[in-house]
Amino acid sequence: MNHWPIIPILIPLAAAILLLVSHSWPMLWSRIVSFGAVLLLAAAVIFCLGLADSGEVLVYRLGNWPPPYGIVLVLDRLSALMLALTSALAIPVLLYAMAGTDAEGRHFHALFQFQIVGLNGAFLTGDIFNLFVFFEILLLASYTLLVHGGGVERVRAGLAYVVLNLAGSALFLIALGLIYGTLGTLNLADMALVLVQVPPADQALVRTAASLLLVVFALKAALLPVSLWLPQVYGAASAPIAALFAIMTKVGLYAILRVSTIAFDAAPFAANLLGLWLTALALLTMALGTMGLLAAQRLSIITANLILVSTGTLLVAFTAGNANATAAALYYLPHTTLVTGGLFLLAGRIASQRGALQDLAERGPQPRDILLTGGSYLVLAVAVAGAPPLSGFLGKLMLMQSLSNAGLAPVFWAFLLVTGFISALVLARTASVYFWEPERQAPAVSAGVVIQAGSMRTTALLLLTAASPLLMLAAAPLSQYARATAEQLHGRAPYISAVIGDPAAIQRERRP
Amino acid sequence: MAAALAVLLMLARSTFAGTVLIARQVWLPEWGLDLALRLDGLGFLFAALILGIGLLIVLYAAYYLPEEDRLGRFYALLLAFAASMLGIVLSENILLLLVFWEITSLTSFLLIAYKHEAHDARIAARMALAVTGGGGLVLLAGILLLGQVAGSFDLSDILAQGDRIRSDPLYPVILLLVLAGAFAKSAQFPLHFWLPIAMAAPTPVSAYLHSATMVKAGVFLLARLYPALAGTDLWFAVVGTTGAVTFVYGAYVALLKHDFKGLLAYSTISHLGLITLLFGLNTPMSAVAAVFHIINHAIFKASLFMAAGIIDHECGTRDMRRINGMFKYMPRTAVLGILAAGSMAGVPLLNGFLSKEMFFVEAVENRAFQGFAPLLLPAFATAAGVLSVAYSIRFVHDVFFNGEPVDLPRTPHEPPRWMRFPVEVLVGIVLLVGIMPQVSLGAILNVAAAATLQGELPDFKLAVWHGFNLPLVMSFAAIAGGMLYYIQRQRLFDLHDRYLPNLSSPVAFERIYAAMARGSARLLALVDRRSLQLHLTLFFVFALGFGFWAWQSAAPASLKGSLAAMPVDPWGAMGLAALVVGAAGTVAYHRQRLTAIIFMSVVGLIVSLTFVRFGAPDLALTQLSVEVVTIVLLLLVLRFLPGEAPAELSAARKSRNAILALLGGAGAASLTYAMLTRPFETISGYHIANSLPQGGGTNVVNVILVDFRGFDTLGEIAVLAMAALGLHAVLQGLRLEPYAGAATSEADRHPVMLAMLMRPLLPLALAVSVYIFLRGHNLPGGGFVAGLITAVAMTLQYVAGGIDFAMSRFKFDCVRILGAGLFIATGTGLASWLFGAPFLSSTFSYIEPPFIEKFEIASAMAFDLGVYLVVVACVLLALIELGGLSRRELSPMQSGPTERKS
Amino acid sequence: MELVVSAGIGVLVAAGLYLMLRPTSFSVVLGLTLLSYAVNALIFFAGRLNAESPPLAIGGANGIADPLPQALVLTAIVIGFGMTAYLVALALRTKGESKTDHVDGREEA
Repeated sequence: MNHWPIIPILIPLAAAILLLVSHSWPMLWSRIVSFGAVLLLAAAVIFCLGLADSGEVLVYRLGNWPPPYGIVLVLDRLSALMLALTSALAIPVLLYAMAGTDAEGRHFHALFQFQIVGLNGAFLTGDIFNLFVFFEILLLASYTLLVHGGGVERVRAGLAYVVLNLAGSALFLIALGLIYGTLGTLNLADMALVLVQVPPADQALVRTAASLLLVVFALKAALLPVSLWLPQVYGAASAPIAALFAIMTKVGLYAILRVSTIAFDAAPFAANLLGLWLTALALLTMALGTMGLLAAQRLSIITANLILVSTGTLLVAFTAGNANATAAALYYLPHTTLVTGGLFLLAGRIASQRGALQDLAERGPQPRDILLTGGSYLVLAVAVAGAPPLSGFLGKLMLMQSLSNAGLAPVFWAFLLVTGFISALVLARTASVYFWEPERQAPAVSAGVVIQAGSMRTTALLLLTAASPLLMLAAAPLSQYARATAEQLHGRAPYISAVIGDPAAIQRERRP
Repeated sequence: MAAALAVLLMLARSTFAGTVLIARQVWLPEWGLDLALRLDGLGFLFAALILGIGLLIVLYAAYYLPEEDRLGRFYALLLAFAASMLGIVLSENILLLLVFWEITSLTSFLLIAYKHEAHDARIAARMALAVTGGGGLVLLAGILLLGQVAGSFDLSDILAQGDRIRSDPLYPVILLLVLAGAFAKSAQFPLHFWLPIAMAAPTPVSAYLHSATMVKAGVFLLARLYPALAGTDLWFAVVGTTGAVTFVYGAYVALLKHDFKGLLAYSTISHLGLITLLFGLNTPMSAVAAVFHIINHAIFKASLFMAAGIIDHECGTRDMRRINGMFKYMPRTAVLGILAAGSMAGVPLLNGFLSKEMFFVEAVENRAFQGFAPLLLPAFATAAGVLSVAYSIRFVHDVFFNGEPVDLPRTPHEPPRWMRFPVEVLVGIVLLVGIMPQVSLGAILNVAAAATLQGELPDFKLAVWHGFNLPLVMSFAAIAGGMLYYIQRQRLFDLHDRYLPNLSSPVAFERIYAAMARGSARLLALVDRRSLQLHLTLFFVFALGFGFWAWQSAAPASLKGSLAAMPVDPWGAMGLAALVVGAAGTVAYHRQRLTAIIFMSVVGLIVSLTFVRFGAPDLALTQLSVEVVTIVLLLLVLRFLPGEAPAELSAARKSRNAILALLGGAGAASLTYAMLTRPFETISGYHIANSLPQGGGTNVVNVILVDFRGFDTLGEIAVLAMAALGLHAVLQGLRLEPYAGAATSEADRHPVMLAMLMRPLLPLALAVSVYIFLRGHNLPGGGFVAGLITAVAMTLQYVAGGIDFAMSRFKFDCVRILGAGLFIATGTGLASWLFGAPFLSSTFSYIEPPFIEKFEIASAMAFDLGVYLVVVACVLLALIELGGLSRRELSPMQSGPTERKS
Repeated sequence: MELVVSAGIGVLVAAGLYLMLRPTSFSVVLGLTLLSYAVNALIFFAGRLNAESPPLAIGGANGIADPLPQALVLTAIVIGFGMTAYLVALALRTKGESKTDHVDGREEA
């Protein structure tokens, strides 16, 4: 029995349970358990990546019930990629948090592990209702992690974030009710099978249900017009949490990609459901993010807006609906996640050295460790602005080429280039303020508020800074993996036949 | 760098033999990006310039920069720049070329800001990045299109397909994009403004990047892609015009500059314009002249900059109104400077003369304007020549002669021997080439020009003396005119001071940037008022809009499906009526919170009854118990909130919200109606059929929860546990004041009668929950409901006895119980691994027949026990925490239980 | 009967949305609760209306209700409860930190 698909869920779950049971033990214990679990998870995920790269779609039948009656976990290339990305982000984030952030409130580590349970579960599940459950897990964990440490701004942003997401969850359930009420199944692969047989009279209802589902995912992905919450929420979170949240929007994008390619695209009437609307909104999201970049006064807010830009960029590629564009986007996705995560950590590091100014881009004390801070800033900024030679440029190159035949190509190219241009300008200006402007007061005045940056934080920052150069060096194998992933997704059949052995054997009962 | 130069010279033989060396390392072949390098004549020429001048600059900088500066960083950047510049000129893959192109922009950015304490340097750096980096992005678009049209990103392929590219409908687009990139880099009008400002960089950087090499990348690109893109009228129009305008404009402005580095910068712009113009003339010979002038300009301009740097270094200023008479103080440097400036002006026997002469020849012989104005181009060339001579004279005369220096910070003297050495080398070359062009440069110009044209070279010979002809006349006319012009310069300065506004580009740049930032901020403030209501409104509108769109763009369908309507029974009608009353009451009285809660519980009750009516007793039980607990929680909260909230919304907002709410309600109702009136096929028949034989329970809902979809349940109790944890974390250390009017005395809130009544109820309730728990698998009930009943019983204890009583009864570590519950549930799931089955399999089929029943029940019960524990612990934790608030509120001196625990 | 049920759900959704759009956190909690009633009912009725008896596999029973949506609703109810409890706590915290009950932290919208 191959249990690998569930291992990435069980490791953090076990860690979370252990942390709950031993919650009154010293913080050191929690840190050891938590970090040990993340390392163990990373090892397991690497193994899963190897399994998935064989091209086989591994299906895990929970409770040993044949699909579609029970819940299945599906480990394919896309899930493995997302799992790997989660681990790659979790390690440095946790390392950074262990330097003190985790002690600012209760249950940090348990919630962190639950957050990973939710993320990994969402990436692995092949059941749409189970996806909802994992969404709730990762959201609830994120609610508390967001307000971790307290403070007016943070708690207020947290309340808004929670209410908005609760509305999203309600809509999710409405969509699920309608989907079950029309298709009679919750299994993603089975949905694809049923979708092609929906009679014309029912198609409008199914389309509506599907579009509501996409709206929910768009909320998580922060697509315009439901993107406005993101900068204030991410800007309010503590640095490591904001960095962890870099992957949260990607869950929404993942869900859009997964559900569209595996299920909705199977039937012409549901394929490319929101079509040009979604593409247009994605472009507008890029534009809005770019404006936000210009208007932002803090590196953390700049980064939050960069996340908006990346959401728009990725969504344009996903809505193009061809394997080429998906492949390009799947190379770009890990890049943007890790780099924006790194920028959040960097913003935290800079903020911790500038006293009351925090990361506000105004003349103030220069960071002490200018080589490290400035060096990571340079690498991360070059990467995120899409300048050569780092991964951002390669991703941009792929995206532009893969979309060059689409009708919107000139517009997309222009958006992508202008966005990159403006990010470069903004980041250059911010750098100039942080690192080049002479200090207003003598350093001695500000020395009192300088927090000595620990070596764990340094390591964490360096890990995420190294991501882009590594992604550049490994571009060839990664882009091949991304291509294979895209082909596996758009091929659809391998996934469906792996989950549902014999479609004819499924028992369906007519109601009423 | 010397080593690299040595390697280059070793490869020289093959280059001069006309072979093209290509080295390739695959990188991203499917996206057209390879590490492919090529060494041909053009690349060789540029590489030699980059390395040769680079070597001299390194030597020079060692003396120029003060020792206390971070020289390590400087050299690292300079070498990184040299490497990427070499990359540009040696790339075979044009995407790779672009990679290096942008790296030069980046290193230039960092080098300009080397003296970053200066405000000007910081802005100059950002401006240079904006223009050259932005140009690179435009170039990227051009290159991608070019590669797509040519079907390859390899230069070898692209250069061979000139005709195909020029006839492609995309050609104009490609050309304009590529040219925009090249012009930005080479500071062509109107993208020239960054270059003079970039002179804020240390002089070695100005000499190297912003004169000899980086700015040549643009014209290099023109040369590189000449076979692919040149030869059309569009090329002539755009490249020729831009070059011509830049040529004259640069020369004109150069004279006006008082800062000699500024003069040299504009002169560089002008010469780059000349090179561009030569490429734009579209004849092979003019391209040869362009390549030749690239070499000459690089040499004399680098030497001039270095000489200027020496003077700057020695005098501490660059203002030509103050630096005068330097000949007296540093005669050797002065001679070098004069020779280099002479070359810049095109004085015979210096190298600049030769390429300028070639330009004049081209101007005379060019046929483009023959039709209507045969003398237009020669006249233009002469006029531009006049300007060049004038600013050269100004440089020489003002700096080295023209009386005594004015108010210098330092007393100038000759620089150290080795600081002058690089200038001597370069001026030596100026002379060498100027006197013996064919011997010194003939061979390399041949191969470089051949590589540029990728075809037959025109017949030409480099010589100082071509006989007495029109171009020679033009040369002398230019020199004479230049002198005259220089003498009249003061009038020009006056004219400028009087009429032209003095708006410097850095100020403009900052203003534009600030305006963009402000504009964005304003626009965003319009869109986003950071209000939750707005975000919610947008979300609802978005959902409604997309839902509606998805419906109406589908195959036309009526709302009502094919099923016959079921008759309305009186209970249904009454239920609806009660529901409307409840919902309306909640809305109407939402400000009187207690009333609102009562109305809301009416709604909950109706929903529970509906569940009973339509065959879902499990749901009804759960809903009711949840209801009770929720209401207790809300009542607890009420004490900390004002009894009545003020009316906060304007009437317009209210009616807008009402419309949105009604639309949402209508949408939900329509979709529900559409769903209910259509038949569907479901997989749930399988669950009903297999619940007993394979799941071992008759209550299908419970079997689904603990078995078919047990994983959902595990996730759901994880959510519950997290909600409790979150609550525990969020309320940490919170202290709230109850509002006036809330009950404050213990006795008021906990009537004795109720307390007496409730205490014996607890054991009873526990017994009931055990019963419900046990029967769950076969009849309505199970871990959830049992847990909730237990919790309700405890809740009632709280209501009746108050927090002190309840807490003395419930001394649990709730967090630990949460963990234990999850542990039991997960452990049950894991246990199935022992039997070789997937997570959460019931042990049912894997045990010998006599034990089936027993073990099966044990497995399901264990899982349900986990559920039970989590539910109980969650509710208890919520109560204790919220109760803790009240304790803290009542006795502020005493620390609450929450603080003890952390 | 379909109309009655649909109307009921519609009324709950409308009331829920209206309350959610109010600026005080207490109204938002009320609104979310009403909305979740509606949502639970909607999922429940995805199994249609014609059910007469609970889904107990005792054999031979006609017109038994669809058990699957019921299980989903149970999960949704419990999750909804957790969320409500959490939201209440967070609202209190917000109030404690910012001294206002307004969801955006200001008294006037």
